[in-house]
Amino acid sequence: MSVVPSDMPSLSPTPVQSVSAPVTPKQKSEASKFYVSRPPRPMLARDADSMYWMSRYIERSEHIARILLVNSSLLTDVGDLAPALQMRQWQSVMTIMHQQDLPAEDPSPLEQRVPYFMAFSPENPNSLFNVLTRARENARAIRENISSEMWENLNTLYWSIHADDAQHRFVDSPDDFYRMIMNGSMLFQGLTDQTLAHDQAWNFTQVAKYLERIDVTCRLLETKFSILRAAEVFLETPLRNIHWMAVLRSCCSIESYRRNNIGDMDPLRLASFLLLEKSFPRSVRYSVRLAHEAVSAIRSEVNPRTIDPAERVLGRLDAQLEYAEMAEILEGGMTAYLQKIQADVAEAAIALQKAYFLH
Amino acid sequence: MFQNYEADGLYDEMFESPGCPRAHYAPAAGKLAAMGREAFRRRVRMADVSFRNQGITFTVYSDQRGVEKIFPFDLIPRIVPADEWELLERGLTQRIQALNLFCQDIYHGQRILRERIIPADLIYGAKMFRREMFHVDVPKNIYIHICGTDLIRGQDGKYYVLEDNGRTPSGVSYVLENRAVMKRVFPSIFSEYRVRAIEDYPFNLLQVLRYVAPVHSDDPNIAILTPGIYNSAYFEHSFLARQMGVELVEGRDLVVENGFVYMRTTSGLRRLDVIYRRVDDDFLDPLCFRPDSMLGVPGLMNAYRLGNVALVNAVGTGVGDDKAIYPFVPDMIKFYLGQEAILPNVPTYICARESDLKYTLENLDKLVVKSTNESGGYGMLMGHQATRSERDDFAAKIKADPRNFIAQPVVQLSQCPSLCDDHFEGRRVDLRPYILYGEKVIVMPGGLTRVALRKGSLVVNSSQGGGSKDTWVLESEEE
Repeated sequence: MSVVPSDMPSLSPTPVQSVSAPVTPKQKSEASKFYVSRPPRPMLARDADSMYWMSRYIERSEHIARILLVNSSLLTDVGDLAPALQMRQWQSVMTIMHQQDLPAEDPSPLEQRVPYFMAFSPENPNSLFNVLTRARENARAIRENISSEMWENLNTLYWSIHADDAQHRFVDSPDDFYRMIMNGSMLFQGLTDQTLAHDQAWNFTQVAKYLERIDVTCRLLETKFSILRAAEVFLETPLRNIHWMAVLRSCCSIESYRRNNIGDMDPLRLASFLLLEKSFPRSVRYSVRLAHEAVSAIRSEVNPRTIDPAERVLGRLDAQLEYAEMAEILEGGMTAYLQKIQADVAEAAIALQKAYFLH
Repeated sequence: MFQNYEADGLYDEMFESPGCPRAHYAPAAGKLAAMGREAFRRRVRMADVSFRNQGITFTVYSDQRGVEKIFPFDLIPRIVPADEWELLERGLTQRIQALNLFCQDIYHGQRILRERIIPADLIYGAKMFRREMFHVDVPKNIYIHICGTDLIRGQDGKYYVLEDNGRTPSGVSYVLENRAVMKRVFPSIFSEYRVRAIEDYPFNLLQVLRYVAPVHSDDPNIAILTPGIYNSAYFEHSFLARQMGVELVEGRDLVVENGFVYMRTTSGLRRLDVIYRRVDDDFLDPLCFRPDSMLGVPGLMNAYRLGNVALVNAVGTGVGDDKAIYPFVPDMIKFYLGQEAILPNVPTYICARESDLKYTLENLDKLVVKSTNESGGYGMLMGHQATRSERDDFAAKIKADPRNFIAQPVVQLSQCPSLCDDHFEGRRVDLRPYILYGEKVIVMPGGLTRVALRKGSLVVNSSQGGGSKDTWVLESEEE
């Protein structure tokens, strides 16, 4: 490209009145290329949608794998459990994942049926198989918006459940299989944080991740809390503790809880930890705060002078959790409280969709 | 590994005679021959895993739901010496210039028809002729910005042009990914050569897209228009968007208002200036072409005709790569440029001509017959391999619509060694270089070498069991 130097003497007579050298438009436009703070690049509504769902499904896959892992090791620990309790235990896994019943025709024992159904079944919309497929499909639609590290990681994860030998490896060691999914999912989140610019796109992954986390954690607490409170009288203390530890493990928080509450497996304390702990990334309160921050960041980039409905819902919830007290929560009932949070999350998700995805 | 390797009377890219490699292949042949089977196999696996984990796949529609497949990659490079390439480069440049002048002429003064160089009925009978483009001025008068020209090599070792792809040629992403994989798995052979770099292709493509931006702006908004993630070439669309840093859009992301094209973003509508569209003419705008198209944007053609958006390639370039018009390209070169064609065509019989039709029908067993508007190896008959009844069926089709067919003598494509089980065998190859036409013409030094992985097969298309090789164009010795 040939650029004529602007200071070249022109052949035509120079107008007398030009005393100070004016900045020519050419110079200005050349310089503007190097502005450090360019206005943020607009994001396709469809890309935002895919970014959001990719992240939600990745988060979901981790919860599913972890809950399955914890449950199968819990049942190993407890040993021969009454069939009724074992049934209830597996049923609770299904409840947490919004899955009411198993396909009836399968005659194999429950402890094989549920893990298979949750891991591989093509009929179960929330099986790891389907969840990871959808995560990858969303990622494929925004391949040019994410880093190659993220894509390769997700792709490897996808093939680890789609490859011909996946089911064999699952049968060999379900534990290893679940751990592989959990690690793959967490690696993806780490890569998202470290290889994606922390702009609008990243904020969509964050809000999706935390909304999913709040949702699953609330359902987990709701399900286990009611089962275990009802069983409290029948269970001996060591057994009870094992159960509550399983709940903490399902939320990836056993170590953190122990450091804060030495030697104490009190159900209320535990619920309070998972709900209201300020600094633990798996607690509901922490997740709400970060979801709220992500939504405000998106909104202030797109619409600097307003508050959008999703932000309002999450902001209120954030404040509520900040000032909440366990006694108060129990007054209205734990179940109701958890359900209200889930309803708020659903409302925020719909508001996001209306504001940003459906243009 | 090269034991029992046979040339079968074909032109072999690697060997001059059995056991005697051509000079430019000697270093590679030496390294390959010294490499054990297991070492080579290990590299094949490395390449496969790398392709799979990166999601470098294409979709084959053999049944209802498409199956995602790895494009089979053959690890032995195709090497083109500098002097051969110099000839190809000149020939391809000449060709894209003539084809562009032809499109411009066809949609404006039609000098070439008035002077009876090409029969007018062939043009008007072409499915891809777009009346809608008549007297439309396209930005910088460029129609075919990106051309993928298929070259083959006959038994005589000479290069011939088999066809031009001037609509939406695909495959360039595989060229770039093949190179990346080769560098990873064969660094030792790579370092024996001075191979010309191809990695600047996306940058050059971006320069072309910026060059044709209709509104003078330092920073035009550019997007690639894809039919969506289920399209067989989706990987490439996404790859190019990523490499150039431009937006990847689908029809439903765009909307036309007041003659301008906009993208739907999270913060409202944003104007789009240049669209590298990977959607066929037919599906671009339901108001103008196929009304049932869900892939296009209503009103897009209107914005295009107003000059408010640039489309790359232009609409209507299918008239230039129609297989019945292909035989006239040497005439075009003479007519518009006053030059002789540097790269020869394959002799072609146009069934629309009475005498050619007669010859074709009488010699079906010696000819390859192709439908003029199909690609990807669909709608063709390999006369010498077909059965009697297949030939009869095809003859009936030709008689029903002669304009739709051309015939060519069977060209015995050159072969190049490929890995078959645990040894090397010759497999037929072609070559598709990519030519960019913007401020100047740039021929990418390399291209997609496609290989027919079935023994004896002449069909190299990926949809028909073809694979690909990395293509190395060598630096000239002088510097």
